[in-house]
Amino acid sequence: MGKFIAGKLLQYLIVIFLMLTLNFLLPRLMPGNPLVFLAGEDVGFMSSAEKEAILDKYGLNDSILEQYGAYIKNIFTGDFGYSYQQKRPISELLMERLPWTMLLTGLGLVLSTVIGVMFGAISAWRRGTRTDANLLTVFMFLSAMPSFWVGMILVSIFSAQLGWLPVFGAESAWSNYTGMDRLIDIGKHLILPLATLILISVTSTFMIMRYSMLNVLGEDYIMMAKAKGVKEKVIKYKHAMRNALLPVATVFMLSLGFTLGGATVIETVFAYPGVGRLMFESVLSRDYPLIQATFLIITFSVVIANFLADLIYPLLDPKVGSRNG
Amino acid sequence: MNTVLSVENLSTYFKTDKGIAKAVENVSFSLNKGEMLGLIGESGCGKTTVAQSILRLIEYPGKVVSGRVLLNGRDLIKASEKELSSMRWKEISVIPQSAMNALNPIFTIGDQIMESILLHENVSKREALQRTKTLLELVGIDGERWRSYPHEFSGGMKQRVAIAMALACNPKLVISDESTTGLDVLTQAQVIALIKSLQKKMDLSVILISHDLPMVTAICDKIAIMYAGNIVEWASTEDILKNPRHPYSQALLNASPDLSNPEKEVVSIPGSVPNLVDFPHSCRFHTRCPYAYDKCRQENPEFKEIKKGHYVACFLEEEGNHG
Repeated sequence: MGKFIAGKLLQYLIVIFLMLTLNFLLPRLMPGNPLVFLAGEDVGFMSSAEKEAILDKYGLNDSILEQYGAYIKNIFTGDFGYSYQQKRPISELLMERLPWTMLLTGLGLVLSTVIGVMFGAISAWRRGTRTDANLLTVFMFLSAMPSFWVGMILVSIFSAQLGWLPVFGAESAWSNYTGMDRLIDIGKHLILPLATLILISVTSTFMIMRYSMLNVLGEDYIMMAKAKGVKEKVIKYKHAMRNALLPVATVFMLSLGFTLGGATVIETVFAYPGVGRLMFESVLSRDYPLIQATFLIITFSVVIANFLADLIYPLLDPKVGSRNG
Repeated sequence: MNTVLSVENLSTYFKTDKGIAKAVENVSFSLNKGEMLGLIGESGCGKTTVAQSILRLIEYPGKVVSGRVLLNGRDLIKASEKELSSMRWKEISVIPQSAMNALNPIFTIGDQIMESILLHENVSKREALQRTKTLLELVGIDGERWRSYPHEFSGGMKQRVAIAMALACNPKLVISDESTTGLDVLTQAQVIALIKSLQKKMDLSVILISHDLPMVTAICDKIAIMYAGNIVEWASTEDILKNPRHPYSQALLNASPDLSNPEKEVVSIPGSVPNLVDFPHSCRFHTRCPYAYDKCRQENPEFKEIKKGHYVACFLEEEGNHG
């Protein structure tokens, strides 16, 4: 097992190095110039000396290699630099945004997985019946809707028409709620974006679970369990679902890596202060350090999630562990 | 001799898009205590469907439409789910078609054998584990390997595990459904020898489903020959070998090589198995039978005892003009 982990770690180090490099090059390959955003509207009135001074200040006149060296050094010292546009330390910005994103996308991932698995299992267990057909129709319908549209519909119904829930943000501004009141306020703000996120992402889990469960139910060992006299419930939960969950677990681990990247579209629609929106804004304004930092967050979390998956998968599927360990 | 299993006029149909497939029709046979019956026939002739009907494992779109399956006098077809659960494995168990897939990949083989013991018998976990180890030793596997997962075993060993599992609750009847398919010839022979020795040792009744005629004639007391969903002949192995009455049985014997007689010419049966969907009311073998005459195309021959313990379904027997 130790050798297995060490080997995997080396693989991931290589991946991280490649990702860091790509991440450095990517924004520099994009068209556009950060100068406009650094200096604002005044850039047209600036002398070239003034422009040079600004570029110098941000190290943008150094050679690419020098910039790369500084970039790597900063990452390993935990210093992501300053956001050109927001004029604040990036680590501070990220710390502000990450909790909201984790709340929204983490909860969304867990809930949509649980819901998808439940209904997927029911659908497969009752394959060919009306229940199965109805569930399929509903989930296919859900997956066909674009997320921004779902979000807007929900807002127009529950916020605009009924006035039950707030329209945007993660909590009420200037409200000074504390304790329980604050939690309730955050909860209310969370409902609509969370619902949107679940609605649009639940179908993939549902489909994977249904298909996987159908496959498992056709296996000989299920028939054997029946022949052994195992009760139907036990067959369903112990023998079938545990096996059917394996592909779902893979997808879950993959998605887990992307949770820290936030849900850009939904965060934008609901003006939710998450990392996804931060990334969106940073790309719009060619805010190189911020783009790099947000991309890096995603890179690292994907790599970490994959590593976790490598550690956890052998526990779920005995076939995986023994071959490598 | 007391009868353990008696199957009477069993019919199992499958609904298909093209009509009703009569996969098993009017099948009758019985099995005495300690007896080994070989159920033999070509692929797709309904052997496995018979086994699954006996075990009540037929699921939609299949259905047992008529008949009785008496296991020690109790009708399995009419039994409630609860009765069935208590009879399964205690009285009747199965060594499945491919043991490769019959073991759940995420549980250790010990867990799976123990599960059946704990399910049916009021014993402690420790005791169940002890019995599991004994069972593994019985089939020639180190008892300490109960902790292993199915994928850590070879095909032959998985088959042994399946046998151990089938014997876990001391059943009276074991159905071995082509349980050596997919194994190499040497392993096949070992597994079959193992089944035979365990059958003797534990005085089991065994239904051995196979398409391997020489193997079945070598170890079974009785043989039932199936063709296209019917049992066409059922008799002692000796009678089948020396005096096969049904044209299909004769053809089948002619089609298998004989080691003791290498000169024997192997003759295949012309034609192919008929489609079982909406099969007309006639002898199912008439399309390939060299002796078929008008009556064979219009009526289905009855399955009759022509001498003690020798049953045949063929009009030639009635006419007394056997070729």
